[in-house]
Amino acid sequence: MSDQPLFQRVLVANRGEIAVRVMRGLRELGIESVAVHSDADARCAHVLAADHVVALGGNTAAESYLDIDKILAAARSSGAQAIHPGYGFLSENSDFVRAVIEAGLVFIGPNAEAMDRLGGKKAAREEAIAAGVPVIPGTEQDLGDDKLVEVAKEIGMPVMVKASAGGGGRGMRRVEREEDLAEALAAGRREAKESFGDDRMIVERAVFPARHIEIQFIADKHGNVASLHERECSVQRRHQKVLEEAPSAVVGAELRKRMGDAAIALAKKVGYDNAGTCEFLLDDNGDFYFLEVNTRLQVEHPVTELVTGVDLVHLQLQVAAGGNLEELLGGHDLEPRGHAIEARICAESPEQGYIPAAGLLGLVKEAHGPGIRVDSGVYTGWEVPPFYDSMLAKLIVWAPDRATACERLSLALRDTAYLGIPTNVDFLRRVVDDESFRTAAISTDMLANRPELAAGSEVEPDDHVLAAAVLCQALARQSGGGNSATPVAAAGGSTAVWTDLSGFRLFEVTR
Amino acid sequence: MKLSREFVRGGDTVAVVVESIEGDRYRVRVGDQTYEYDARALADGGVRVQRLGSEEQGTVAYGAGSTKSYMLRIDGKTHELAAPESRRGGGSGGGADGVVRAPMTGTVLEVLCSPGDQVEADQTLVVVSAMKMEHKLSAGVAGKVLSVAVAADATVDQGAELIVVGPADAKGL
Repeated sequence: MSDQPLFQRVLVANRGEIAVRVMRGLRELGIESVAVHSDADARCAHVLAADHVVALGGNTAAESYLDIDKILAAARSSGAQAIHPGYGFLSENSDFVRAVIEAGLVFIGPNAEAMDRLGGKKAAREEAIAAGVPVIPGTEQDLGDDKLVEVAKEIGMPVMVKASAGGGGRGMRRVEREEDLAEALAAGRREAKESFGDDRMIVERAVFPARHIEIQFIADKHGNVASLHERECSVQRRHQKVLEEAPSAVVGAELRKRMGDAAIALAKKVGYDNAGTCEFLLDDNGDFYFLEVNTRLQVEHPVTELVTGVDLVHLQLQVAAGGNLEELLGGHDLEPRGHAIEARICAESPEQGYIPAAGLLGLVKEAHGPGIRVDSGVYTGWEVPPFYDSMLAKLIVWAPDRATACERLSLALRDTAYLGIPTNVDFLRRVVDDESFRTAAISTDMLANRPELAAGSEVEPDDHVLAAAVLCQALARQSGGGNSATPVAAAGGSTAVWTDLSGFRLFEVTR
Repeated sequence: MKLSREFVRGGDTVAVVVESIEGDRYRVRVGDQTYEYDARALADGGVRVQRLGSEEQGTVAYGAGSTKSYMLRIDGKTHELAAPESRRGGGSGGGADGVVRAPMTGTVLEVLCSPGDQVEADQTLVVVSAMKMEHKLSAGVAGKVLSVAVAADATVDQGAELIVVGPADAKGL
């Protein structure tokens, strides 16, 4: 590679952990980063990580990260030559891609035409069929509620009702009983309208028990497509992934090759470039069915990076700048090495129906050690805003084999603390320590079938716990604010709710 | 130095008093038990605590206040330690008090009841969208809808009272 950076300056049209992760990649390649942020995110981790910062104003996603005009204006004013969209927000919006190109900028992602051809469920399914990739039986378009219900009954329950424009599980439901179809369609349409501005729905057979296997691929602008092999994301809740790993415990070399070839064929068929993921369901017979293509970098991309040794953000930038995969990956052994698992740490309470939470993180302690990677978007004293996704960080481990990776992840979760608001850390550990996960006996309905994993068990704090709690408070006070364990120290007293609680009686503090 | 706190444990209020002895040593009274601890603050916000006279190794505890309680992470487990009288509003939808509150700041999608309706404990009364998820909220108690404070499309703050359900024979609205 020449000493000239691929770009001088790149704007990251995203927030939180993924924006931080992309900015790291930029810095490693000698490229300056531009952060954009809403009012609520003025001090978000990605803003602190950037070389240049542009305020978008507003609080909701629609007022900020989804506002194409504001993002393009920020790119112009900051002198960025390219835009990396991260995941979510505008990452799969082909109108945005076109607007970026029209503005004379480079979009770090696929071309708009390929995105359109894979964007809608119906379009993607047709492309998959044409590329010889197996698909799930079902409707290819929204036939209206009455017809959808009719088709659902023909296919046989249970069925999936899905947003035609969907992704990431939004607007997607599994329906067990015919009488629930109408309500599921109505709720799906609402969610789809809100998430994608498009309320069209489709119906298809629910393949189960199924494993979620996806192929990460990367394509350049010269017609080369490489498979970076599979990730397994079978541990999900309502199609939101909880744990992701690479490689899959049930995918051997032969199946890996077949699935990889299917993804490559589809990518070539639509003239794809940049990073993408082809999602499949794998049933007990070893048959796989096309689900969808995510035309962006995915949340779980780190597990692929850890087992293949490539840096996907670097590759994205390199192919966007015209790089050739034959050179970029030539001589690189891409065979999966060892085992990686990612846990998504979210501000939500699995014990109480997964209710998401916002508020002050009074103390953040992230795990470290051999084989541990944390992609984080938060820090001690950060107040998680209520406007966006509830994911705080990703804890990713690598080990030579799956059993060691499980143990490493369990211990890393043990050493992890995000305190002040509810999180799913204890829940993640329960799942990782569960016999079914340890033996890789997982499927997409594992969490639905095992509600006790979410519920956990209430343990009364023993004397030692209570003593430690008050010792923590005593030492935090003693150190005069140098210890950030108290909200007072962490946030300048603005949100010191704990100390305001009337139930606490401070009898005496003397030294 | 002396610091006192009260917590609810198993329905009882337990007083915990920490007094410094000297250096890193503290006397800790939990209810009617007294222990001695060695405790040191670490740079990462944790506190290493070791019970003196115990065979067990010391452990690092991490603590922070939340809106409702003190959260302590110790030995790989998070404890939410509730203070007496701290069980105030803002929790998860239907509390047993019949008041349906917004679980988070969000938007009301649908109101599925009207004042005067008889409703079941687990009946969905209102649907709120927050953090890109739909939340179906019920009252947690059966009875009669006394008031409905919101309409569809309204933006509500976390903890806002949306609907109040009272006894089935409640009079007046």
